Amino acid sequence: MARENIYQEEEFPSPLKQLWYNFKEKPMIMLAFGAFIALIVLAVFAPIITPFSSSQSHLDSILLPPAWNNNGDVSFLLGTDKLGRDMLSMLMHGATFTFGLSFIIVIISAIIGVLIGSLSALTSGFKSSFLNHFLDVILSIPSLLLAIVIVAVLGTGLSNTVLAIIIVLIPQFIHVTRNEVKKEFTKDYVLASKLDGASSLRILRYSIFPNIIEKIITQSTLAQSAAILDIAALGFLGLGAPTYIPEWGAMLSNGIDLFYIAPWTVYFPGLAILFAVISTNLVGEGLRHALKQRKEH
Amino acid sequence: MLIFTLRRLNLFIFTFIVLTALSFSLSFLFPGDALTNLTGQVNATLEQRALLIEEYQYNSNIFKQYWAYLTHLFNGELGVSISSHLPISSEVINLLPATIELSVVALFIAMVIGIPIGFIAAVNHEKTIDNSILFISMLGYSIPIFWLGLLAVFVFSIQLGWLPSAGRLSLVYEIKPVTGIQFFDILLSKSEYKWQAFQDATLHIIMPACVVALAPMTIFIRLARTAMMEVLDSSYITAAKAKGLTFWQIIYRHAVRNALINVIRHIGLQFANLVTLAMVTEVIFSWPGIGRWLIESISQGDYTAIHGGLLALSSFIFIVHILTDFIYAALNPLARERKHGA
Repeated sequence: MARENIYQEEEFPSPLKQLWYNFKEKPMIMLAFGAFIALIVLAVFAPIITPFSSSQSHLDSILLPPAWNNNGDVSFLLGTDKLGRDMLSMLMHGATFTFGLSFIIVIISAIIGVLIGSLSALTSGFKSSFLNHFLDVILSIPSLLLAIVIVAVLGTGLSNTVLAIIIVLIPQFIHVTRNEVKKEFTKDYVLASKLDGASSLRILRYSIFPNIIEKIITQSTLAQSAAILDIAALGFLGLGAPTYIPEWGAMLSNGIDLFYIAPWTVYFPGLAILFAVISTNLVGEGLRHALKQRKEH
Repeated sequence: MLIFTLRRLNLFIFTFIVLTALSFSLSFLFPGDALTNLTGQVNATLEQRALLIEEYQYNSNIFKQYWAYLTHLFNGELGVSISSHLPISSEVINLLPATIELSVVALFIAMVIGIPIGFIAAVNHEKTIDNSILFISMLGYSIPIFWLGLLAVFVFSIQLGWLPSAGRLSLVYEIKPVTGIQFFDILLSKSEYKWQAFQDATLHIIMPACVVALAPMTIFIRLARTAMMEVLDSSYITAAKAKGLTFWQIIYRHAVRNALINVIRHIGLQFANLVTLAMVTEVIFSWPGIGRWLIESISQGDYTAIHGGLLALSSFIFIVHILTDFIYAALNPLARERKHGA
């Protein structure tokens, strides 16, 4: 009998591969994913590829409009600010501070949060209930307010902002990890490895963790868009990055007094933040969608 | 309902203890002397200081100190501001209503616009309307609020000149604060320019409230969409269809009511988010609320003010949280009868 299938082996994609197949189906999401990767590359290589240094001021061309304007100069593609610094270079450097730092913040707080969360899921009774209530209280305080208070304790500045946002994000990761681990613990496959005599830590490491890692990554994208907005908001309020650092929020607040004369000093940093947050959110959305599709199959 | 109330009360007491313990420990964490940070008496003489130490049980162990702090808190004494030397409690009472006003109006706008749009998206699930609504809500969710505020001021106040850019009310009108909520005060006042003042206050609140409302609105769109889709999937909707009800009858009589309950449940959580946005917006629009005061006091190193502001804002949020929980339980009998951990 002739075989319809030329290939002998049927391919069964691994769960991760299947996730990728589902993820890449939507062109919009792939575009955002490309932008996300580009932002990471920019954050790492900004010092090498920018046309000018972000602190170099060109005193003969202060407040130059963008190049498409009649008064613009093509060597300053997006114009200059009130100190004659090149906007394009500042924005590219800003990617390191706003986007790159948010990335690092999320990784650190995810590691700490997942560790605490998975260990706390193993506890029960009074300790567990105490932790639950405690987390509820912390989560009911708005994240920005908490970050502001931590900055007030530590003092203003970029490194303290980073620390504050890490501390603020940890409870969210604990909450998500804890809920997911608890949910998985009730399932049959965990019971099976329990009957095999695996210790709780072993179950956690080899049975449960591979099953919840995607949920944690999804939560990370949410956390990252919040982190970008928080860094920028604190920079804008004058509590985060000092004005000489080209952090997008701080750049925006620098431009306010000249908003009417030089609107581009406010437009571009805001657009940069918007761009970074949208691409992060879209990547997260795509992941969530792909996860849901994989579950339905 | 009684058990539900008791359980909520338990949670409330626990939250209160954690919150006060946190704010009490802040006085030790802030730079400088803990007692000064708690009372705000920077230039106290030795005798005054001895009196304060006595009052706050400062030489006893930490639990007695905490207890003394709680007693002061219950008497409404939050110390005096380090920078302005005004009592914090009176400042909070003056400023908090402005924030409440702004956030309640914003919540109202977000719900009134967001929930119907979410329902429309759910009814047209996976059509162009649904996708475009989702995309726009994603856009609204991602806009940095301070940038949006600045753009709004630029367009509507400076270029078009339609709306005022700062403050709560034009200085022309003299309104005596009674409740602190501007609209009530205007209605209560006996000024002959009452209606002009009311219009002016409305014009002042439109822009900041809309800016605050945008991000929560997009969240309400998503919540309403998910809730409506869940309801439309359920079997009583199929039963209603089988009875031969028209589409709008099904939506209006069965779906909307049941979906709304699920949306109301999330209001409390969204409110915390909304208050944060309101804090930043207050800075941009010079709204005389507690958020602006709090951010200003950080740059001034006014630790008593930070402490009082944090306590006031988070208890306000928590009270709203509990209120929505009660409303939800009153509307949805299923929530009252859940067994453990409700």
